Amino acid sequence: MFNFNPQTQKKLARFRKIKLGYYSFIVLSLMLALLSVAELLVNSRALVVQYEGALYFPTYTEFHPGTEFGLDYTYETNYRDLAAHFDQTDSSNWVLMPLVPYNPYENDATDSIMRPEAPNAARQHYLGTDTTSRDILARLVYGTRTALLFAFAFMVSVYMIGIVVGCAMGYFGGLFDLGFQRIIEIWSNIPFLYMVIIVFSVIPAEASIPARITLLLLVMVLFSWTSMTYYMRTETYKEKSRDYVAAARVIGASTQRIMFTHILPNVLSTLVTFMPFTIVSAIAAITALDFLGFGLPVPTPSLGELLKQGTANLRTAPWIVTAAFGTLVLILSLVTFIGEAIRESFDPKQFTLYR
Amino acid sequence: MTMNRFALTLTTLILMGCGSDQDATEAFPSIDNTAEVMAFYETHADFFRAGSIDDLPEDLVWEDGADLPEVGSPNAKKGGTEYVRLADFPRTLRTVGPDSNGSFRPWILDSTSMALAHRHPDTLDYFPGLALRWAVDVDSKSVFVELDPKATWSDGVPITADDYRFTFWFFRTRYITAPWYNNWYESQYTGITKYSDHLISISIPELKPDTDSKVLELRPLPQHFYKEVGDDFLERYQWRFAPTTAAYILKDEDLKKGRSVRLTRDQNWWAADKKHWRYRFNVDNIHLLVIRDNAKVFEAFKRGDIDQFGLNLAEYWYEKLPETDPDVAAGYIERKWFFNERPRPPYGLWINTHQPLLNDQNIRLGIQHATNWQLVIDQFFRGDYSRLKTANDGYGRYSHPDIKAREFDIERAAAYFKAAGFNQRGPDGILQRADGTRLAFTVSSGYEALKDVLTILKEEAAKAGLEFRVEVLDATAGWKKVQEKQHDIHFSAFGYSLELYPRFWETFHSDNAYDKAFLDTGAINPDRKPKSQTNNLETLAIQQMDEWILQYRTESSSDEMVTLAHQMSELHHDYASFVPGFYSGFFRLGHWRWIRYPENFSYKHASGSQEYFVHWVDEAVKTETLEAKDSEKTFAVQLQIFDQHREAP
Repeated sequence: MFNFNPQTQKKLARFRKIKLGYYSFIVLSLMLALLSVAELLVNSRALVVQYEGALYFPTYTEFHPGTEFGLDYTYETNYRDLAAHFDQTDSSNWVLMPLVPYNPYENDATDSIMRPEAPNAARQHYLGTDTTSRDILARLVYGTRTALLFAFAFMVSVYMIGIVVGCAMGYFGGLFDLGFQRIIEIWSNIPFLYMVIIVFSVIPAEASIPARITLLLLVMVLFSWTSMTYYMRTETYKEKSRDYVAAARVIGASTQRIMFTHILPNVLSTLVTFMPFTIVSAIAAITALDFLGFGLPVPTPSLGELLKQGTANLRTAPWIVTAAFGTLVLILSLVTFIGEAIRESFDPKQFTLYR
Repeated sequence: MTMNRFALTLTTLILMGCGSDQDATEAFPSIDNTAEVMAFYETHADFFRAGSIDDLPEDLVWEDGADLPEVGSPNAKKGGTEYVRLADFPRTLRTVGPDSNGSFRPWILDSTSMALAHRHPDTLDYFPGLALRWAVDVDSKSVFVELDPKATWSDGVPITADDYRFTFWFFRTRYITAPWYNNWYESQYTGITKYSDHLISISIPELKPDTDSKVLELRPLPQHFYKEVGDDFLERYQWRFAPTTAAYILKDEDLKKGRSVRLTRDQNWWAADKKHWRYRFNVDNIHLLVIRDNAKVFEAFKRGDIDQFGLNLAEYWYEKLPETDPDVAAGYIERKWFFNERPRPPYGLWINTHQPLLNDQNIRLGIQHATNWQLVIDQFFRGDYSRLKTANDGYGRYSHPDIKAREFDIERAAAYFKAAGFNQRGPDGILQRADGTRLAFTVSSGYEALKDVLTILKEEAAKAGLEFRVEVLDATAGWKKVQEKQHDIHFSAFGYSLELYPRFWETFHSDNAYDKAFLDTGAINPDRKPKSQTNNLETLAIQQMDEWILQYRTESSSDEMVTLAHQMSELHHDYASFVPGFYSGFFRLGHWRWIRYPENFSYKHASGSQEYFVHWVDEAVKTETLEAKDSEKTFAVQLQIFDQHREAP
C-alpha cells in the first residue's frame, strides 16, 4: 500500500540529514532490538550449560530443576550457584551466564540483610539493588521493555481507530460527521483516570499479568482515540475536495478504495508527525499509573514502581531514583528527537505549491 | 439602619452558605425513641431490672484501685498542638456500624473515651474511670458499680445509670447494623439493675477469671444524644459527633473533609483533676493530617510537619533514621526502643477454607511449609522480629506453650501437595494436576507498607512449586475484601486489646463462618453461604471447635479455660488454615525533642507510646529547637532502649 514514491524518498533523505533525530532513531532501534532479546542479556538463567557432555540452552525453554544438573533440589536451578559449584568441583562442566546474571524478581542480599545496595560491579549489580535487594538494572530493562511495547501497541490501536473514524467523518460529512463529533465530545469528557481506577478495582485477582496489562491498554485506548480523529477529519475534508478524489470517484472507485488508497497516503504526513509524541505520552501515562499504584500488579518490574521506590528512599538510596529517572529521560528524549526530525522532514509546507 | 439590615442579610447569607452541611443532617424527620426504649425495657423486664439499695448484698467487697500508681508524669505540661498523621479520612463519625471501625475511631473512642475502669498498663489491675468503686458478687454473678457522681458528658449532661441501661438497648437494636455488637450484648450479659442514679449492677452469664473486666470495660452512651436512633441511624448519625467522656472533643468546623481533623482538649473535662487521668491528655490540640502515602509521612516527619513517627520497620530504624542522620546526630530528633509484653497481633496468612482447593487440608499444610517467614524475619526485618507460633500468642499461660509454626520445608510441602494431586511441575516450575489445574492462589493485603514481604514469600513459594499472586490494595479496600470473604489468602493481623485470655468465638466459631454451617442432623449444610462482616477470616467451621468455644465461654475455672484454649489452639494448628507470620516484641519511636515523655517512657503492657496519651508538647523547647536548627546549634544525641520487659527469645 505504501510504496516509497520519490516524494517519500526525499522526505526520508531529509530525515537522515537531521543528525540528532537520525542518530536517536538508530539508538532507539538498537535499544529495541536489544530489549527484544533481553532474556539473553539480563537473566538468572544461563545462556549455555555444559553438563556431562550435553549442552543445555535454558533461556527460552521450560525450567530445569536443580536435580537435572546433579543438585539436590527440585526447583529451578540457580545457575550462578551452579557455576560456582562447577568451579569448585573442578569438573569439565561449565556455565555461561548473561552479562547481568539476575532476573528482576529475585532477592540477592549480600550480607543476608535486604536493603538497597549501591552499584557494585564486582557483584554484577551494575546499577545497585532496590529495597528488597533486587537488581535494578534487571528491573529497569524489563520494565522499559514492557513500557515500550505497551506504548507501541497503544499507538497502533489508537491510530487504527482514530484513522478509520476520522476519515469516515471527513469523507461522509453531513449528519454523520455532526453526530459523531457530538459523541466524541461527550466521550472525551469522561475522566480517564477514574475509569482506570474503577476498572482496576473490579478485575478479578485471578487475571494473569499479561491479561491485566492488555486490559489496561484497552481502557487507555478506549479513552484516547478521540484526539486523533480531529486531525484526520480536517485533513480528509481538505483532500476530499481535491480533483484527484473527484477523478477517482468518476472512474468508479469504491468509497473504501478512495479513503484508504487515495486519501490516506496524502494525509499520512500529519499522522507521522504525531506518532512519537503519542508514544511519549503513553510511556508517561503508564509510568504515572504505576507510580500511583494503579498500573502493573506487584511485583512486575516497571519504571513507575522504581520511581516510587526511588522517591521513597531519596536520601538513603539515591541510585534507585537516578537509574529510573535517567532511563525515563533517555527514552523520552530519544523519542522526542525522532519526533522533531520527522516533523521537520515531513512538513508538507516545504513542498507545497502555495508557498 | 439600612446599613444594619444589609449587614444582617449578608450574615444570613453567609450562615446559609456555611450551613449546607448542617441542613443535610437536619433534613431527617425528628424521632424520639424514648417510648420505644421504655417498651423494650418492659418487654425485657428480666434484663432491665430496678432494685432498691436495701437489696444490696451485705458482704460486698468494694474495690476502687486508688492505690495504683499514677499514669503519666507530674512533670507533664498542658498545652501546645501536636501534629499527627491520619492514614485515611474517617468515613463516618459513628463509632458503630459499617465503616466505623477505621483508623480514626481510636481517636474518638478506643484510646480516648472513658470506661467504668481501666487496666493499669503496668499491673493489669483496674483503676477507676467513670466508676467510683466496684464489687464482684459471686452468688448473683454480678458486678456492682457505684458511678462517679461528678462524671458528665462533654455537653455538661451528667452521666447516670440510665445511660448504661440505654447502652444495652442501643447495642441490641438492629438499627445499628452491627451483628457483632448485637451478639455480644445479647449473649455476654444477663441483666442490668438500677439501684439509684449512681448505683448499678450488671450480671453476666458465667463467672470468669476476669469477671470484672466484662463489666468494668463498658463504655456508656449518651441517651439524650441517641434519642433519634431509628431505621435511618446510619445516615442520620453519619457525621454527628457524639457527646463524649473523653478529654478531646471534635468541633464541626474542625472537620476538613478529606484533609484534616482537629481535636480540642475539653477545658471543662470532668476528669481533669482525677487521679490516673490528670497527667494524661496533655496536648491542647491534636491536629490529624490525612497523609495516605507512607513514604510521604516520613518526609513530613523529617520536615517537622508531624511530631512523632513509629520506627518499627527495620528500614526506618537502620536506614532512614540511623544515628548518623543529621537531625538525630544533632539531637533534634530522639529515638526510643521499648520492649513490651502483651497479646501479639497475629500477622500471618489467613486462608479462606471456603475457596476451592484451599478446602483441602493437604494443600493448606503444603502452604504452611512453602511459606518462608523465617527468611522474611531474618533478612527483611533483620532479625528484630520473632516468629509467631499461633494466632493467640502473648496471653501468658493461655497461649499454647509447645506449638511451633511449621518451618519452611520444600520436601514436606511437596509431599503434601502431591497428596492433593499436584505431582508434576509445569513449564514454569509451578505444580500442576494431571488435568492442568495450577497450584496458584491470590495473596491479598491492605498493608501497602509490607508489600515487599509478600513478594519475598512469592519468590520462596515458587521454589516449592506454589504460586502466590500478590494483590496489594489500599487499607480500606483490603479490609472490605476479607470482610466480604472474597479472598483466597489474606495477609493481615488483628489489633488485640489488653485481655487476660484470648477470644475464640470471633475468629473460629462456625456462626461467623456461614449463615448456617451445619444442618440440624449435624451434617455439613451443602447450601451454606459464607457470612460477611465477621472476623472468621478462615471461614472455619468445625463442630468440635464450636463445642469447645461454648464450653470456654461458660467455663469459670481458669485452669479449665487454659486446657480448652490449648485444645483449641492445637485443633486450629492441625487444621492449618492460618500460617503464623511474625510479631515484634517491642515498639520503636522517633520524635522531635519538643515531644516529652515520662521518665520510664511507656508501660509494660502498652502497644505503642501514644496509647495512654502521657506525652506532652513543650512549646519552649520547640522554639529553642527550631532556633537551634537555624543557627546549627546541636544537642546531645538521645537514644534510649528500655528492655526491662524484654521477653526471652
